[in-house]
Amino acid sequence: MQSATQLDRTFHALADGTRRSLIHALSRGQARSAGDLGRSFRSAQPTISKHLKVLETAGLVERTVDGRFHKFRLRQQPLGKAADWIERHRAFWTGAVDQLEQLLSAEPRNE
Amino acid sequence: MTSGTTSAEVRRRLAAAPERVFAAFADAALVARWLTPSPDIRLTVLQFDFREGGSYRFAYTLPDGVVMRVGGTYRTIARPSHIVFTWVIEPPDEHAGIESEVAVAIEPDGAGAQLVIRHSRWGRGDAVERHAEGWRGALDQLATVLAG
Repeated sequence: MQSATQLDRTFHALADGTRRSLIHALSRGQARSAGDLGRSFRSAQPTISKHLKVLETAGLVERTVDGRFHKFRLRQQPLGKAADWIERHRAFWTGAVDQLEQLLSAEPRNE
Repeated sequence: MTSGTTSAEVRRRLAAAPERVFAAFADAALVARWLTPSPDIRLTVLQFDFREGGSYRFAYTLPDGVVMRVGGTYRTIARPSHIVFTWVIEPPDEHAGIESEVAVAIEPDGAGAQLVIRHSRWGRGDAVERHAEGWRGALDQLATVLAG
């Protein structure tokens, strides 16, 4: 399913610390170049470029080419989809634990 | 009682000993009575093989008649403290096919028990803990990004 695939990519992209830091660095909304991001991370440029590529493939950042510079900007929408999945399951388990609590208090000796 | 971030983690202190909390996960008849987010959503246990490697399959009937089916496999069962199982929603559903994992931890807490349910996207083999760590960080990050 397409939505599952997109969500898989989003979660995969979010599973790495450097990529989360890159998302954080881009979260003010400004487009930034790979070089600029690389300097603020003190990581090797190829490493930053590799992570940006993963984020781009996941659709979490978009790249614009401005002359010699490649600039990257955060895309919010896929992150919103991931948050929907999280929120749905949190609501599910919160409700289920409410039911469990009632069951346990209603039948103290039930095994 | 949730962790306060966008984490799919629920924590609750229950006035029942760990053995009783564990039993509520281990018995199909008991599961059918509580493992639903609301009394209005009826759970039918289609399959229930509570052992490591065993599978389960649940059908949830919503008030409007829509049925959501979920299935998975028990990966770890350590009575009375730990249960880990996979969780995949079946089509048609917007989240169908997404592999995820539910880790249940039950610890003694006075005369009762502390229950922690962590539902995470990651669940492959021996990388579970590492993934769970990354996932928690990811959720915190996501919360920051979405708030900003």
